[in-house]
Amino acid sequence: MRRRAGVLGVLAILVVLALLVPQLGGDYYVHIFALVFTNVILAASLRPSLTCGQLNIGHSAFMSIGAYTSALLAKNLAVPFELSLLGGAVLATLVGVVIGYPSLRLRGVYFAMVTVAFVEVIRLIAQLWVSLTRGMSGLSGIPKPNLLGMTLTTKASQYYLGLALMLIVLLILWKLEKSRLGLIWKSIGMADNLAQSLGVDIARHKLLAFMLGCFFAGVAGAFYAHFIRFLFPPEFGFLMATNILVYNYVGGRGHFVGAIVGAIFLSLLSEPFRGSPYETIFFSIAMLLTILFLPGGLITLPEKLAGLRRWRAAAPTPSPAA
Amino acid sequence: MPLLETRDLTRHFGGLAAVNHVDLTVEKGEIVGLIGPNGAGKTTCFNLLSGFLRPTAGSIVFDGENITGLRPHQIAARGLVRTFQLTTLFQEMTALQNVLLGLHLHSGTGLRQLLFSRRDFPPDEIARGREALELTGLAAHADQLTKNLPHGHQRVLGIAMALAARPRLLLLDEPVTGMNLDESGRVMDLVKTIRGHGTTILLVEHNMKAVMGTCERIVVLNFGQKLAEGTPDEVSTSRDVIQAYLGTGVNHA
Repeated sequence: MRRRAGVLGVLAILVVLALLVPQLGGDYYVHIFALVFTNVILAASLRPSLTCGQLNIGHSAFMSIGAYTSALLAKNLAVPFELSLLGGAVLATLVGVVIGYPSLRLRGVYFAMVTVAFVEVIRLIAQLWVSLTRGMSGLSGIPKPNLLGMTLTTKASQYYLGLALMLIVLLILWKLEKSRLGLIWKSIGMADNLAQSLGVDIARHKLLAFMLGCFFAGVAGAFYAHFIRFLFPPEFGFLMATNILVYNYVGGRGHFVGAIVGAIFLSLLSEPFRGSPYETIFFSIAMLLTILFLPGGLITLPEKLAGLRRWRAAAPTPSPAA
Repeated sequence: MPLLETRDLTRHFGGLAAVNHVDLTVEKGEIVGLIGPNGAGKTTCFNLLSGFLRPTAGSIVFDGENITGLRPHQIAARGLVRTFQLTTLFQEMTALQNVLLGLHLHSGTGLRQLLFSRRDFPPDEIARGREALELTGLAAHADQLTKNLPHGHQRVLGIAMALAARPRLLLLDEPVTGMNLDESGRVMDLVKTIRGHGTTILLVEHNMKAVMGTCERIVVLNFGQKLAEGTPDEVSTSRDVIQAYLGTGVNHA
């Protein structure tokens, strides 16, 4: 119970800090942190699928679908943000069903390969369907988010929108993970044959987990589109898809917080390299270091350090003369 | 009407007939043993019965219903539940959580129930889960992580999970393999207790002492075919069976 109170306290402090960013920092920090929020949504929404044991390297494609759908709805049809966001998320989910359903029987690497191929397919569609997406010229002139009849003109207000969206998505995903559904996902990831033999329809549950991920990736995409207001097909490529996966691994896959920690930590640290070739190198090194030294991810760091301290304390101090 | 009946059950892997025209019946309330030398097709047989493999030919009828070709979770939902060889368990969960997932079958799997279950499991299910642990003698280990349990306990936990799913027919795949005499004796007592509660049992096991002491009827497979069938006494004195296990090197004439 005390642990729970501690966690809630830390959470409250973080939220208050996040609320203060626009007041304390300038537009630069507002911009960076709003992008961190999208990355957190992306990382957390990959968890259901990952927990089911599916190596999904295609998440950026669903973000792309959400982003383009919402942007085009708002730009061409003047659809308000709350509806265009929903439209983007729903379309991402529907496409997710079309991709997920046939590939659900594939495991491990084979499933991963389908998702990788899919990222490329979506990127190429965005690139080649010039009449709709403007292709490699990029889609510009996306309206600012128009929410409940109000247009959020300032970066700060858009930042708060991103923060609110992130908190809502995290709450939903966390509740789901703590529910019986989450336990079933975990069971499928640990031993799918056993889960099946106990009556779990693993195909249905894998599809559901996958769809949930697609929906929230679509949400992240929609926010991104109206915040950055410029979409460029290669942004949603293989690199972003692997980054989302790396957030989860570096943060730690053992707990829900891992995805959040990983996304925040890596997004902030990689900020100087954004868009440069060093970005790939940075993420590769982060992944390697994690695998080598912290296989449980950053969330296991406190435990590791405590273990190290105990070990130090137990070891005899070397004499200075030696 | 038998509880389980297979006719001409056949499964080919390429050119190999792993299970070949096997007719198997299990009556309600029996403990039946399925034995045979390595590679005789026992595990394939289990995989066919539980839906993890589709038969190449033949049919499986469970309690009057043809279940051939159904998927594993559908078969489990009909009351035919299996355990796995060695320790296929949810290692990162506690013993109780493992059993509660076994309960999953009977607690309703509707999406609405799944999404709006406020706590992981309602108290009555947790009580039932603890009951299953009590019955199997694991009550003291309910909140321990499965991976930290000793081997024998893990094997029994596998049985407890299957029990929680309230099977009418329980398929046990090598329940006492790797156990010492004391442990295997306790597991075999457990098997009899389970039968006493009204669950029919079909088990695969290499430990002959355990099989002979527990099963009322034994079916012997060899090279995918049924070699012999009968009481433990009949089977253990059958020439065919002795030949299958020991070979025919010595001329008895």
